[in-house]
Amino acid sequence: MATITRVLQVSTGSLSLPGGNIPFWGFADALRVIPQLPGPIIEATAGDRILIFLMRNFFRPIGEPISILFPGQENVLVRKIPGGPFILEPVKPQYSSGKIISFTNFLDELQDLIIEYSFIARKAGIYLYESGTNPEKQIQMGLYGIIIIRPPGYNNPGHPNFKTAYGTDTNSFFDVEKILVLSEIDSVMHNDVLPNVYYDMLKFKPDNWVINGRSFPDTVNEDNNSSQPYGSQINCRVGQRVLLRIVNAGLQNHTLNLGGFVGLVVAEDSFPLKTSTLDATYEKTSLTLGSGQRMDIIITPNASGEYYLFDRGYHHLVNNDHFPGGMMTKINVSS
Amino acid sequence: MPVIDLWAKDGYLSTPDGNSIYFWGFSKSETGPAQLPGPHIVARQGETININLYNTLTEPVSISFSGQSGIMADGQPVQPQYTDGKLLSFFNHAEPGGMVSYTFTPSFPGTFIYESGTNPHKQVPMGLYGGMVVRPADYNPDAREFKTAYGAGTDTEYDREYLLITWEIDPDMHQAVEEGKPYQVSKFLPRYWTLNGRCAPDTMLMDGLDYLPHQPYGSMIMGQPGEKILMRYIGAGIENHPLHPHGTHTRVVAVDGRLLRNENVDLSFKRFTVLVGAGQTYDQIYQWDDLGYTTQNPIPTILPNLRNMGVGDAGWTMWSGSPYLGVKGDIPVGVVSYNEFGEYYFMLHSHEELQITNWGEFPGGMMTMVAIYPSLSPAVGILE
Ligand SMILES: [Cu+2]
Repeated sequence: MATITRVLQVSTGSLSLPGGNIPFWGFADALRVIPQLPGPIIEATAGDRILIFLMRNFFRPIGEPISILFPGQENVLVRKIPGGPFILEPVKPQYSSGKIISFTNFLDELQDLIIEYSFIARKAGIYLYESGTNPEKQIQMGLYGIIIIRPPGYNNPGHPNFKTAYGTDTNSFFDVEKILVLSEIDSVMHNDVLPNVYYDMLKFKPDNWVINGRSFPDTVNEDNNSSQPYGSQINCRVGQRVLLRIVNAGLQNHTLNLGGFVGLVVAEDSFPLKTSTLDATYEKTSLTLGSGQRMDIIITPNASGEYYLFDRGYHHLVNNDHFPGGMMTKINVSS
Repeated sequence: MPVIDLWAKDGYLSTPDGNSIYFWGFSKSETGPAQLPGPHIVARQGETININLYNTLTEPVSISFSGQSGIMADGQPVQPQYTDGKLLSFFNHAEPGGMVSYTFTPSFPGTFIYESGTNPHKQVPMGLYGGMVVRPADYNPDAREFKTAYGAGTDTEYDREYLLITWEIDPDMHQAVEEGKPYQVSKFLPRYWTLNGRCAPDTMLMDGLDYLPHQPYGSMIMGQPGEKILMRYIGAGIENHPLHPHGTHTRVVAVDGRLLRNENVDLSFKRFTVLVGAGQTYDQIYQWDDLGYTTQNPIPTILPNLRNMGVGDAGWTMWSGSPYLGVKGDIPVGVVSYNEFGEYYFMLHSHEELQITNWGEFPGGMMTMVAIYPSLSPAVGILE
């Protein structure tokens, strides 16, 4: 079992959206420096220890305490320099004068240098990591990312778990995999938020709908080195099994229509629906995901052509009130 | 091969509070009214159908058939359509004044939505949607074991069936389209919520009323104690709606036109409330046989305070009155009869209670009744 180590920072940055550029807060790989949306993908194999160092940012700090929550992971341990605890202990909510100020141990960039979170990646699946401090504000500002946990042997041809999301006999074998992180962005809020100043979330009114931090047509562009590095276009061939790993990182519910395809739901919230005793997988043409929920879907295109995956909440398919735009991407199926 | 013509047109829908709202809808013929929802399409598994879309509107219109594969438009596989490199339609469309002919062969039975795939942020909220039911290949309404939603042996037999399509209306958006003003979907704020294109109490009226020419489908669910009533829900709006009937839970047997069963494993489940998600469908069996009712054991009813029963003019009341399937009680002054046929009513409504109003006024909106009759004609609860 390996140890996967990642060094992250939180940084202010700029997002490119159809209406122009807006400020955001993002996780950055400490070596790469550029904050990104979603945060850097962290990949591990079930059984690995994941070790995440969140480092103080001296150059472009957001100016608020920062932390990371790992929904779906158990027994997360923490230590912090120099604020302590110095010996690993379980994370816990943080209070100030009896009032909760963070769901988990946080890094105060005025005093602390580094906070270390660690846990064993127990179960294969797709998970969010996200801010646990002022989360109503910081997650909307961009502090979320993805952890993929692979079953052992998934990259080993000949192993029964090869190229599966959840291991053999879970009907999760795939040829092509795409992560689709859904969210929405309120550009007014992004422009108005100030560190450590109360922001009235009752004013929250998103005006951009994004997959992997981009709105259509940017979603169909390739991966790049910008602050929105992940494209969402899916390229596959007829008959291939395409695994869509859909994650709702937003504050609202979203319904993803599979573009005319009927998808097989193989896991919900990283619990595989097929086990050795029960096959509870089922088929859908659209899927509604609540905030924080994840679904793993397999589609198997049977005809070549172009197809669009889109938010069936059609009012989210616009940029500045004009169709097409927003939460939409494309599948190119070649013969 | 069954041929269905759909004409995309405009018209005015009526709401119970007296509003008249401009909308776009599908019509069965060149001369017929645009209707809301569009005409029900009833097809058969394995039987190719041809749907001709004639567009009388001022912008391109297309139809997407969720859950179907191998759809051809004018003989070619459907594909997204672009103008100047910009996406215009998810599928081949008919230009204004033009037509497009779709053919496909439904390979699965079930309940499906059909809806516009062009400017869907505008055209679907404007009313370009409808419901499609695909009968299983072995469907035979005259033989009990073959009168099913998903085929013999799938535990989906039913006695009566009803289609309920949810949708919501932002009157300002409809007015903007009517007047050719900017359509700002970012300001979307529904004020009416409909079942089969009608707001309560119109939902409880008959099908095909002269004075609701654009809204031909009622939503009254009618059956007898113990019968299996198949309720097919379709979410045509852009919002989700939590629907639930009173009286008993429903058993969800299929979603998005796919049976909840893997070989011998029954994945159907019971629910109090089903969240009808945008663009999704839910087939459920409702079977009311509670309270130990038999004709020999009618359920006694205590008359509520008259003020809680009387609604509207003499002879009109929302409350079914005493007695349920039993002995009649006293009738208040001015009321001729509560329930002529001895039926009992259960509400079926959106649990997001703002949605059971018409522009904030209760009762209204996304609400109807399930009426259980001591006896009922077999001609009631048939989808055609
Ligand atoms: Cu209720």
